[in-house]
Formats: sequence, structure tokens, C-alpha cells
Amino acid sequence: MSEAVVSTLAIGMIGGAIRVGTPYLFVSLGECITEKGGRVNLGLEGILVMGAMSGYALSYLSGSPWIGLLCAAAMGLCMGLLHGLICSLPRVNDIAFGIGLMLLGTGLAFFLGKGFIQPQAPQLPALSLGSFIADPRWRSALSINALFPIGVLLSLLLHWGLRSTRPGLALRLVGDHEGTARALGYPVATVRIIATAVGGAFAGVGGAYLSLCYPGSWSEGLSSGQGIMAVALVIFARWRPLGCLAAAMLFGAAGALGPALQSIGISSGYHLFNAAPYALTLAIMIASCRPRQTLGGTPGELSLTR
Amino acid sequence: MSELLRERALVLMRAPGSFALAALPTLLAVCSALAMFSLFLLAQDVSPLEALRLMFKGAFGSSFAWANSLQRAAPLMLTALCVALPARAGLVVIGGEGALALGGLAAGSVAVMAPSLAVKAAVPLMVLMGALIGGLWIAFAGMLRQWRGVNETIGSLLLSYLGIALFNHLVEGALRDPASLNKPSTLPLPESWMVGAMPGLEVHWGFAFGAAACVLAWIFLRWSVPGFALNVVGGNVNVARLVGLPVDRLVIGACFAGGAAAGIAGAFEVAAVQGSANASLLSGYGYAGILVAFAARQNPLAVIVCAVLVGGIGASGSLLQRRLGLPDAATLVLQGLIFANLLAWEALQGRLANWQLRLSSLGARDV
Amino acid sequence: MSRALALEVIAAGKSFGAFRALDEVSLRVKPGSVHALLGENGAGKSTLVKGLIGYQSLDQGQVMVDGREVEIAHPRAAQKLGIGMVYQHFTVAPGLSVAENLLLATGKLPLHIRWGRVRAELSAFMDGAPFKLALDAPVSGLSAGEKQKLEILKQLYLQQRLLILDEPTSVLTVQEADEVLGLLRDMAHRGEISVLMITHKFGEVLAYADEVTVLRRGRLVAQAPVAEATHDKLARWIMGEPEAGESAEALLDDAATRRLPRAPGSREARLEVDRLSVLDDRGLPRVHEVSLAVHGGELVGLAGIAGNGQRELIEALSGQRSVLGGAIRVDGLPYAATRAQMRERRVFSLPEEPLYRGCVGKLSVAENIALRNFDQAPIRRLGGLVSYRAIRAQAQARIAAFKVRPPLPQRAMASLSGGNVQRAVLARELSEPVNVLIAANPVFGLDFRAVADIHARLLAARNAGAAVLVASDDLDELLQLADRLLVIRNGRIVYEVDAASADRAVIGGHMAAGH
Repeated sequence: MSEAVVSTLAIGMIGGAIRVGTPYLFVSLGECITEKGGRVNLGLEGILVMGAMSGYALSYLSGSPWIGLLCAAAMGLCMGLLHGLICSLPRVNDIAFGIGLMLLGTGLAFFLGKGFIQPQAPQLPALSLGSFIADPRWRSALSINALFPIGVLLSLLLHWGLRSTRPGLALRLVGDHEGTARALGYPVATVRIIATAVGGAFAGVGGAYLSLCYPGSWSEGLSSGQGIMAVALVIFARWRPLGCLAAAMLFGAAGALGPALQSIGISSGYHLFNAAPYALTLAIMIASCRPRQTLGGTPGELSLTR
Repeated sequence: MSELLRERALVLMRAPGSFALAALPTLLAVCSALAMFSLFLLAQDVSPLEALRLMFKGAFGSSFAWANSLQRAAPLMLTALCVALPARAGLVVIGGEGALALGGLAAGSVAVMAPSLAVKAAVPLMVLMGALIGGLWIAFAGMLRQWRGVNETIGSLLLSYLGIALFNHLVEGALRDPASLNKPSTLPLPESWMVGAMPGLEVHWGFAFGAAACVLAWIFLRWSVPGFALNVVGGNVNVARLVGLPVDRLVIGACFAGGAAAGIAGAFEVAAVQGSANASLLSGYGYAGILVAFAARQNPLAVIVCAVLVGGIGASGSLLQRRLGLPDAATLVLQGLIFANLLAWEALQGRLANWQLRLSSLGARDV
Repeated sequence: MSRALALEVIAAGKSFGAFRALDEVSLRVKPGSVHALLGENGAGKSTLVKGLIGYQSLDQGQVMVDGREVEIAHPRAAQKLGIGMVYQHFTVAPGLSVAENLLLATGKLPLHIRWGRVRAELSAFMDGAPFKLALDAPVSGLSAGEKQKLEILKQLYLQQRLLILDEPTSVLTVQEADEVLGLLRDMAHRGEISVLMITHKFGEVLAYADEVTVLRRGRLVAQAPVAEATHDKLARWIMGEPEAGESAEALLDDAATRRLPRAPGSREARLEVDRLSVLDDRGLPRVHEVSLAVHGGELVGLAGIAGNGQRELIEALSGQRSVLGGAIRVDGLPYAATRAQMRERRVFSLPEEPLYRGCVGKLSVAENIALRNFDQAPIRRLGGLVSYRAIRAQAQARIAAFKVRPPLPQRAMASLSGGNVQRAVLARELSEPVNVLIAANPVFGLDFRAVADIHARLLAARNAGAAVLVASDDLDELLQLADRLLVIRNGRIVYEVDAASADRAVIGGHMAAGH
């Protein structure tokens, strides 16, 4: 392989890490908040798709992508709230209801989004960080959407907030030991409902990124399981927001492998290369999980790891 | 003496009651889901009554509709078993779609590898190959859980995505029939290999096979020694280990059986409907099977009924599309609503069980 | 000026359905005193205390604090009044640090936590506290005794004026219990706090309490200064008037009288453990190359403070946990805890918390009793099918033999009371001849009668020639039962002694050393 091909591939992967990784970042931060409170929301996949659809639709209807983004976040908030409320009922299993929400969200998005597959909605603006670089490949790789720095800021904020704010500490307490939280008078169910709702809003934003930034249009095949992979990604990140940031970039790079290879003319294993994130997720889960053991940092009340 | 009589009476009282109690939340869930669906349709300016009437017509309104519904129920029963069998061991497996795809591919590849096989050998071989590949795929999710601690819900779904990618890769690559231009497919099965309809019906033999598999699964879980052991594993794995049951083997076995069922569903789709392995196989039977299993409360006998109903919902989609102009995703919305409602009403089931317990403990205190 | 709080409860009542859990109970805790609340399980102690701290409201009754009537509807309300609860089950968050747990306990967190200032405050408090803990240590790494101390520190940090302690010494060594209770009594007598202590240990009442209140079946039986109480008097109060054919003393000594000296001669080692290593739930080595042997007709007690590897060792021996290294032998042959080996060599287990570790709650009592032999004739019929008729018949016989109440084989296991769950597990594990029996905390949380019954059955198994290994957090239980005692600390056997020459204080020292 010539040097130019290698550098094209490398730049493609770096740019892709950011471009493809941003939705992972938002969804995994959302799932991180939810799981810190002791619940799992597998329905993030459905929320993601609904966020993508509603964000795109509103951006098209209103002409402003920011309104679309806001709408996607609100949609995610509502669906997260639904998950939080229903799972607070006795005997309702959060994993099972998450599957339900995944099916419902996808169904609703496909139904309501039928009319928005054709038209082109206004997109969220990109920041050209690399405008001073001559190499056009770098320039396009460093043309970063505004949501990425917001996501980085959010993960830093979350990292600080979980340790040094009242809501952060309360959230960790509720997720770590329900009995203690009750004894101390913290409203366990309320905290979890809020955490799930906020997590849903994050996933909604992640969905809007898909339809309003990259790939930047609405179709039924838009999401390829990012919502589910985010759950695995949070386990890999050991429930640390900064870990989520790193893991999201890694997943982004894996997701960019297929397109990057295509850009240098390798297209025969297209489907397999595009499946790289799944294989990576599985490999990471195999590497980071242990049979009949809880991982360090696991919120004590989480049903997922037992 | 009176103790014994009273106990008998309690058992008798409870037996029919508990069946009704088990079905009640399901019925309520379906009703509330239909109510929500109606509201949703109203918001779309569609008459819910007309839509529901059309749905019934499209599902069970004619012999053609029945045939369509049962045709869809055939794979649903088997993909539901892919959820229900591991569920007995306490697992939530949702990777049926991938197992179905690979099972179908395995069946389709029989025609590629050995096109000159006799019919009598070919069809069983296709079913066997489908079962084997599908079973191994889901068993792998079980192995990852037992040996590596990987959550089986996420693991099986990832494996499903990987299986679908592999399916697409092979169908569009190594196993592709060069003659299939627009729709990449494997080599079509010889005409004589196609599984036909059951006598007097327009439904292929896959339906009978699926129903038989459900009955067998029920007998196995309810009456067999390994079925009993599986119940113990699902009820409390610590105790299963305490009494020395081979937990890993039982769990992985249940996963294999479930995956094999989904793989067979794929094989029948190829051998009785599609005629080759192609992207039409990936029409969501694996996901709808999750709904069927949960609606049936993981009971294989109830799976048969629920599969016919969910198959009916799927069958009615095209009529809704033609007559009311609703997107075909309308049936997905209804399915999602039913699923969400089922789980939400689970809370009621808990309360009912409490009442039942209190009732029986009142009886016991008299003793 | 005394900070200690005066508490009075007048005619408290609480019902659960038709069941009267608490009936007209009154109680007075004098300021600056240690008051013991004594009673069997289910006597109403917890119900009373839960009402007092607003965890679960009372139906009737008044609560007076320092002579004023107060309404306590919520744990926060109790906290505001200066009443702090130290729970038996720890209410500390294991994933958080000591500092975070202390801070959370205050309940009035600022929106933004300035850790610099908070830490300075906490270290200042720690300097003046009766016991010290490292602020940054994660709680999951603390020993049970340290967690108990953290519970008490939490309440002291809140400057509570009445501490309610729920079975405070159940996880402490003899020395730790002496230390903690002694320090709290001194604080009380200095007028800094009052203490209300729930317990079932007579020794603690007599040694540390100033006054004692005894409950039985939801009713107040006695309230007296400890100076006027004796061991026998307390026992009589707790047990009530002797029923026909049994006296309180007889019940107390029941297990002891049935105990025979060990049959000499049966010296072959039935259960041998050779350099066994086991991992805990977090994947860290918890049992380090433990070797031990239990002989036929011998009951060996495994003593240790909870969390020192005994649970992991017992789980490995009963097949619930895989082994990292070393070997187990039963009757001289290698043993891997498979079902076939368990059956052939007659190895049985009584796990702790039987409802969660010993049976399947959603299955019926009959099915639970059949867990050991459902794959054998007559339950297994021709063609590999299970005969529910045979399961039922077996259950009826065993339920009668082990006095499981109610005697209904079809009842869901989860609907039985704790003592009856344990009896049903006993009925499964001890109905056939036993060669090796492995038990963990077999009477934890059970009442007097059930304890005596289960101890008698353990001794009967040993008298019949079985090798019995009992792990227990309660040293007194082991001293009463065992022929030989082993002490486990940090995953190693550190001390071994014949019961005849055992000294409580020496054993306690070995359990605690290094902590």
C-alpha cells in the first residue's frame, strides 16, 4: 500500500471517529446517566430512531435545524420518561420494557417518518477547524459538527457533576444501594425516572445527529443499532463519562472503517466491514466481562450485569 | 382429615382461577393497546373503527386472509420459541432475526452445494442445516453468557446483527446466483424441493411443523426431567448449582434449541415461500417473535395462539395500506403498543398474584 | 448541660391485615441511658422502631421527645428531632467512599459540593470521633466491623441525640462488640447521647444496658432496670409462660441436652480440602490455599467475621462457586460437586439465607423438596418424564416428618415464613442418609424454637456418623455445637482448637487480629 493510501485511510478513520462517534457519545452518555441510577434502558435504540425522525421532520417543517434538535431532545425526554415511569411499577422488568420501547419507537418512527424520506431538511452547521490546513482531506476530516464539542463538554460536565454536585451524588447513591437511599430519605423512584428521562433526551439528540449531520438524511435504515451498542459501550467505559468519550471515538473509528476502505477502492467485503462495530462491541464485551463476577464501578442496583 | 379436604378444595378453586388470572392482564393489555392505537389513528385522521374492521378482514376475514395469517404465524411460532425456551432458564434472548437469516441461508446453500440431491433427502437436510446453524448461533450467545459473563440480551442482538451482515455478504457474494440481478439471491431451489401446502389448506407444512414444535416444547418443559431442571435454573441458579445441576449445559442447550427453532423458521421460509435465500427473509419475524413470546408469557402452547394473532396483524398491513393509505409500519406501531402495554400490565399480574396468595393464606390459616 | 434526648412512646399499635404486630406498647428511654429492646423475631421490635423513625407509620400511639408530643412521618423528620438509626443491614453505599457516605448522611447537601472544605470538616470530625476510618477508602473494601462503625459515625456526624441500634453486634467480633458498645455507653453516661439497642443477646443487655424492655408477640412483657434482671428472668420474659411439657430453660438447653459425646473410632476423614483457592464476586482471590479435614461423626465449626472468605469457601464446597486451585476430596476420592458425585457420596448442603440460596421461591414446596431426586425413580418415570404424583407423595411424607407449616405441598415456597423455608430445605437435605453436610449460618434470623430444632437435627446427623461442617457468624452457636473449631481470617485458616479447650476470648482474638 502506498503512503498516500495509508494516510487517506488514517485521516478517514480519524475524521470518521468524530463524525461516526458523536451519536455514540450522546447515546452512551445518556445510558450512563440512566445506568448510574440503577436502571437499564434498552429502548434507547427506539428513542434514537424517533429522535432522528422527529428532529428531521421538525427541521424540515420549521426550516431551522436547531428547532429540530430541540424537538428530538424533547421526544427523547418524553420516551425516557415513559420508560422511567412504567419501570417504576412493581414487577415491570426494565430490560423487557426496553425491548418493547425499541419496537414501539422504531414502528412509530417508520410510520410517522414515511413522508419525510424524500424532502431535504436543513442541516446543523459544521465548524471548519481545519480551514488553515492546505490538505483537503484533513480539512474535510476536521470539518466538525457543532454537536461534537457540545458532547465533549457534556462528558466533562458529567464527570465533574457526578462527584461534586448534589444531583450527581444522589444519582450515584440511588444506583449504588437502594436501601441506603431510602433510609436517607432520597426519592429513589423519582431520581431514576428523572435519570431515565434525561438519558432519553441525550439519545434523542444522538438520533438528531444522525438525520441532521451525518449521514444527514432520514431513512428507515438510518440507525444500525447504535442504541444497543451504546449499552455495551457504557459497560466498557465502566460507567465513567470520560470513558464513554474515549469509547465512542473508538466505536466511531470502527464504524468509519467501511467507508474509509471504500474511499481507497476496497469494497468487496462491504457488509462485513460495516459490521465492524458489532464485532468490536462483542469483542469488547467478551474482554471486559467476567463470568459470575461484578465489574469494578458497576452501579450496585443494575440488573444488567447480574 | 378436614385439612386434606380443604386443601383439595383450595387446589380446585385455584386451578381455573389461576388460568383466568394469567390471561386477564394480557387481555387488558391488548385492549388498552387497541385503544391507544385508535387514538393514534384518530390523530392521523383515520377512522379507527374502519381501520380495525379492515384489520380483522385482512387477518381473518376470508380464507385467503386466514392463509396469509397462518403463513406468517408459521415462522413466528418458531422465532417465539427462540425467546421462550431460553426464557425458561432465565435468559432474555432477542437474536432470533439473525438465527432465522442464517438458518435460511444454510437451507438455501444446500441447493448451491448439492443441487442433485433427491427430494426426500433435500428437505430434511435443509431443515437440519437451518436448525444446526441457527442453534449454534444462539448457543454462542449462551456460551458467552455462561463462560464470559456477557449479557445475553445485548450479546444475542449483536450476534444477530453480525449474522445478518454475514447473510448479506454471502448472498451478495460467494453464494449469489449470477442470474439474480435486481435482488441478490442464492441459487433457486429445484421446483421439486419446494415444500407444498397442507392438504385442503393454502398453508405450507411449516405451520404444522411450528405448531408441533410448540406442543413438543410444552411437553418437554412441563413434564420432562431436563425441562424440570431448566425450571430450577431459571428460578434460582444458585440452587441449581447447589443440587449439582449442570447449569451451563442446560442454559446453552436451551439456547441451542431456541436458535434451532429460529433457524428452522428460516429454512421453511426458504423452502416453502421464497425459493431461495434473499433479503426478503429479513422481514422482522425474529423481532415479532419476541412479542409473541412475551404475549404468551413464555408458554409454548400460548405461543401458537399468539403467533396466529400477531401473524394476523402482519397480514392486515397491506389492506390498511391499500384502503386507507396508511404506511405499512402501522402494524409495527400496533405491535409495539401491544408489547409496551403487556409489560406495563405485568404490574397488575403481580398484584393479582398477591391477592391470590392472600386468599390462599387465609384458607391456610383456617386449617 | 446534657444533649441526650428523652424518648417516650405511649400505647403504640400497628396491624398488618388481621395480624396485630404491635399492641399497646409503651416505652421510656431516659436521657443519657442505654436502653435495650429485647424479644424474639416477630415480637414487634422492628415494627416499633420503624414507626419511631418514620420508616413505616404506626396505626396508633403517641411519641414524645423531651416531653413534647411529636409527629414522625418520615425518616427526615426523625433525623431533624435528633433520632438516628443504625440499621442491622448496612445502609451504606458500597460503591461510594467513606467521605461521600458521611456527606450524604447529612441530607442537606449544597448544590455544588466544595470537596476541599467538606474534607477539612470531615477530617476535623474524624479526629474527635471514638473510632477512625480513612475518608477516601471505598466502602466496599471495609470489613463488616468497619462498616458498622461507619454506620455509627454517620449518626454521630449528624450530631444525633438518640441512637437506635438494630442488632449492632451481629457482625462484630467479641472484642469489637466490647469496644463499640463500651464507647457508646460511655458517651451516653457523659450525657452526650441516649441509646436504644435492639438485641437478642442477653450478655449484651446485662453488660451494657441500663434498662431493658421486653416484647413478645407484639405486646409489652416487661420494662425494668437491668440491675433487677437476671439471665433466667430475661429468658422467661422472652419465651413467655412455659407451654405444656416444656419449660423455657428446657428449650434454651434443648440442643445441649441432645448432644452426645462424639462416637470414638470413626476417624476416617470424610471431607478433605487441600490447598483450596477461590475467587470472590469481584474476581479477587478470597480463599487462599485453605486445607482442612472433617471426619465422620464430627461437627467442625468454621468461625470468622463475615467477609473473611467463609462464604466463598462454603459455596465452593457446595458446588455454587468454581474453584481456582487446590482439591476437594470426599471419602478419599476427588470431588467436583457434580450431581452424580453428590448423590453417590451423599453430600448435602444447608446454604445461608435459604429462601434466596436454598430453594426456588416460585416453585411449590413439593417441587423444592424434590430438587435432589427428581431425576431418580420413582419421580422419574419411564421415558424420562416427571411424575408429579410421586413428587407430591414424597413431599407429604417429608413435610410431616419435618413439621413444615402450613402442611400444603402445593404452596409456593416464597409464601412460607423463614423458619418453615429452612425446615423445607432441611426436609430436602436431611431425609436421606448423609455422609457429608455443609451448612452456613443455618439459624440466621430464626426464632428460638426453630433454632433449637435445627441444631438438634445438625447434631443428629453428626451422631449418625456424618461429617458436618458449619460456618457461622455467631461464635456462641459454634461453641455450643462444634467438636472442633477452625477460625478463618482473610481467607486463611489461622487457628484450630478442640471445643473442649476452646476459649472465647482467644478465638475472638484470632478472628480479629490484623483488623
